[in-house]
Amino acid sequence: MKTFDPVTLATPFFIATVILEIVLARLNKVEARYEARDTAVSLTLGLGSTIAGVLIAGVSFAASLWVYQHRLFTIPMNAVWAWIAVFLLEDLTYYVFHRLSHERRIWWAAHVNHHSSTHYNLSTALRQTWTGGVAGTWLLWLPLSLLGFPPAMVAIEKGISLVYQYWIHTETIRRLPAWFEAVFNTPSHHRVHHARNPRYLDRNYAGILIVWDRLFGSFQPELDEEPCRYGIVKNLGTFNIFRVAFHEWIAIAQDLVRSPRHALGWLFGPPGWSPDGSRETSAQIKARAFPPLHGEGTARQSRARGGEAVTGS
Amino acid sequence: MFNQAFLIQVAASGAAVAALVGLAAWARIARPLNPLDDATARFHLGEEFPGRPIDRLWVATDGAGALARSGASALVLCRVGDAYIGRQIPWAQALSAAFRDGRITLDLSDVAAPKATIVLPAWPPADLAA
Repeated sequence: MKTFDPVTLATPFFIATVILEIVLARLNKVEARYEARDTAVSLTLGLGSTIAGVLIAGVSFAASLWVYQHRLFTIPMNAVWAWIAVFLLEDLTYYVFHRLSHERRIWWAAHVNHHSSTHYNLSTALRQTWTGGVAGTWLLWLPLSLLGFPPAMVAIEKGISLVYQYWIHTETIRRLPAWFEAVFNTPSHHRVHHARNPRYLDRNYAGILIVWDRLFGSFQPELDEEPCRYGIVKNLGTFNIFRVAFHEWIAIAQDLVRSPRHALGWLFGPPGWSPDGSRETSAQIKARAFPPLHGEGTARQSRARGGEAVTGS
Repeated sequence: MFNQAFLIQVAASGAAVAALVGLAAWARIARPLNPLDDATARFHLGEEFPGRPIDRLWVATDGAGALARSGASALVLCRVGDAYIGRQIPWAQALSAAFRDGRITLDLSDVAAPKATIVLPAWPPADLAA
């Protein structure tokens, strides 16, 4: 079977739909906000990530080929059941990757770029990391090759997932039919994921299927009474592309120099962790926003918080 | 690794980025942001620093920022693009910040938000100056 790259194929669609969203917003036909410098940062990060991707692609593909040579089973690339299986397993892998990327600072340092816009539009979807390869999150996909899925098949499925996640970065689409919202990741679900309201922090990690969040307790519906405020807990004060791309890595390095004996916490603690408790994690922000009511159990508190609190986007 | 086809693709993508940014600038569809006044500054400070009491507030004369004292801390609000960002620094640091040409420049000690500039008639306030 000839392999292809869904992301490359979809690039003209990305450009055309960003143009469409801007023009329709200009004509007051849809709800979308674009700030030129924010858009420049998002798109430049997207362009840079393709270059960074090429740099790391050789290593990650070689690793997956090596693992594939030691596979447990041989899964055919031309069987429908194999594509259904790789779709489900890749999407689950994405959920794990995405959750780790929010819950552990070393991986958050790579992922934070995607969340650092105060806007939520189609250009935000292209705001991709430059340092994901260095962070090593691609290792999470190796078990699929160990199971016996050909690396090209996994790469295609990853591309399909990335393309799917593009169109959900919009305020233009409010709600989709209930059955679709129940099963799939949608603009509404993903707006919550990009919001910095305490209730919405660290929710909805899904790639394509929102069922993983429902299954693992990280789902939060968008509430009409609480509009999403986008960005990160401490929004960026600069449009300098290098500060945007590397700020969390630099902050980690500063913390490591300041207090090397807490290296494990700085690297693998949740974002916002500090040895003296002087900073706040998402869990602490949620606890402050939704303190336990006197005489009431934690179940109600948890519901008010929209599920279990974790950490900090 | 970087063959000619890839370099052409990157160059074309760069041109597309420039065109899209130009389109976004032309469209003028950023969030409408009115200059801050006392009430809106307090609102934004409340969003950035929920539950923090504000002892005293100075709103920039151009409405693009604000500085508040909250106990031993200074709460800084400044406009970045079409949004406001907040940072907290020690009050003593804010009090001793450089004031030149009608603006105070605050070192926020944050790689993601290195400094904030706030236009004020004078600084430090006469009653707080040492």
